[in-house]
Amino acid sequence: MTETALQTPPSWKVARQEFLITAGAMTAVVLVCGVTTGSFTIFVVNQILLACIGALGLNLLMGTAGQVSIGNAAFLTCGAFTTVLCERAGLPFPVDLVLAMVSCGLFGAAVGLPALRIKGIYLILSTMAAHFLALFAAEKYQSAKVGSAGFMVDPVFSGSLLFVQRGWSVLLLAITLVVMLAVNRLQTGRTGRAWRTIRDREDAAPAIGVHTARYKLLAFVISSAVIGLQGALLAHFSAGVSNESFPLTVAIAAIAMILIGGMGSISGSVIGAAIITALPHVTPPLVDSVLGSSVSAQYAAQIALILYGTLIVVFISYARDGVRGWIIHLAAWLSRRTTQ
Amino acid sequence: MDLLTVAVIGGLSLGAIYALIALGLVLGFRATDTLNFSHGQFMLLAAYLTGKFKIMTGLPFWIVALAALLIVAAVGAILYRGLLQRLVGLPHFIPVIATLGFAAIADGIMGILFGAEQFVIELPGIPDEHIVLFGARFAAKTLILTGFGFGLALLIAAGLHYTDLGRRVRAAGQDPLLASQGGIHVHRIYLASWAVSAALAGVAGIVHGSSTVVSPGMIELALLAFPAMLLGGLDSIGGALVGGALVGLLQGFVAAYLGGEYVNVVSYVALLVIMLFLPEGLYGTRKVTRV
Repeated sequence: MTETALQTPPSWKVARQEFLITAGAMTAVVLVCGVTTGSFTIFVVNQILLACIGALGLNLLMGTAGQVSIGNAAFLTCGAFTTVLCERAGLPFPVDLVLAMVSCGLFGAAVGLPALRIKGIYLILSTMAAHFLALFAAEKYQSAKVGSAGFMVDPVFSGSLLFVQRGWSVLLLAITLVVMLAVNRLQTGRTGRAWRTIRDREDAAPAIGVHTARYKLLAFVISSAVIGLQGALLAHFSAGVSNESFPLTVAIAAIAMILIGGMGSISGSVIGAAIITALPHVTPPLVDSVLGSSVSAQYAAQIALILYGTLIVVFISYARDGVRGWIIHLAAWLSRRTTQ
Repeated sequence: MDLLTVAVIGGLSLGAIYALIALGLVLGFRATDTLNFSHGQFMLLAAYLTGKFKIMTGLPFWIVALAALLIVAAVGAILYRGLLQRLVGLPHFIPVIATLGFAAIADGIMGILFGAEQFVIELPGIPDEHIVLFGARFAAKTLILTGFGFGLALLIAAGLHYTDLGRRVRAAGQDPLLASQGGIHVHRIYLASWAVSAALAGVAGIVHGSSTVVSPGMIELALLAFPAMLLGGLDSIGGALVGGALVGLLQGFVAAYLGGEYVNVVSYVALLVIMLFLPEGLYGTRKVTRV
């Protein structure tokens, strides 16, 4: 990455501060939305929380450990289909989350094994291959069992629409906070230091006692387990699983999230997940007010896609530290202003 | 025997398209070290434009196709000038993400311009007959297009090896600093490389579109060309041809003997195998990393 001050490893105090601010802001927003808004807004908030979990997982692998992967959708598939298998075996709700994390962790280790020999561009291609292989397996299993409509998954909450969304909101908030705390502990400790060393100076890492292979695999296992958790939750949240819900674009969107939010940080994952998930919901009214309702009805989806691509292109060209980078620059500028 | 013929001819006809795609990918990779994930969008754009222009203007196919290829080449040049040029030298994954973003923009714009329209590209002057070869029937079109694909790919590869311009392109790809010291305008060469890369994708798109229907499914074909590119060696021009033919043949055999649904999986397994055991491909440059 670039050699700005933003990229220097954060001291644990700064990281803890960032964690507390992000967690506090997120909790406040989710609770306020949960109390004051209707079920659809809460639904979008829940989608964002789900995306947050995956983004936190991917950011650990890509942002902190520097291992680039477009295999996100493969791990989501693995998690979601583990839930399906558990349900067919008669295992109740929280158990399948744990099993999904375990199975995705193992799958992550398998995908990570090539990473011990290859890197950079090759790793991108091998995770892409893993994506297509995982989806093929899922499709085979699905067409053998239920056909193209996909599996039904038991809902966790039942009742009115508003109640269900509020219930999910609380559950997802709690899980996201736990994942965030875990990621924060990992990033600030010995493990995070080892990962950043591998990311920045892989050839020098063994010289200062970092077991490169072990830590790379660990990054893959933990990141995949977290993304698998998102997949299992997603299966329950949408009350169904189909292999068609996990195309390569899902994996690309996850990369876009951490890029736009900010690589290697907790707040970046959250900000990016919010922006990318909200974009398709925000675009139609926006287009409606600027270009008129006939255009928005016809082309809103395409315009959202164009905006999404433009965001990726702009951030990759001009702001590789993401929105988090802007906020830090802004804070630094403000503090300079006040001290002068 | 006829199954074998189907496998070989079917495989080679795919291989010709992969050779064109992989050649374009290699040109882009040599120029700016970019693995282009929006190559499929170039293919689709050229095929869409050819179909649309044909319906709109009714001009002869060759003029329409040429116009489409020029536009696609211009888009390729814009991609280089506007985006990839400023990302040279950064870690590999950054330009990859940039091309993914560009692909999303292109998808959105093509969705608005062409929507759900379906185009059929008809090639003039090609007999609509079938030929029996070793006990299997083939459309004459398939054979002619296969020959054309390999012919064009060979022509470009030969041009890069034997002409002065080709030497400049190869020099600029090998060592930009030395090449620029030697009086080669590196940026101009890269710009041309990207334009030609996009145009080659466009040719592949038109060829493929003329044998089926033009639809967004074409984009996946460009991803399937990555195994071909890798097998030949990421930076080898001749390797792209050999890799394309071999991967095409592999897919032909898989389709004939195992069934069409296994084609993609076997190709991606091949990609993993090549990566682990032959990472620099058949003809690629070996990169030494000292640890």
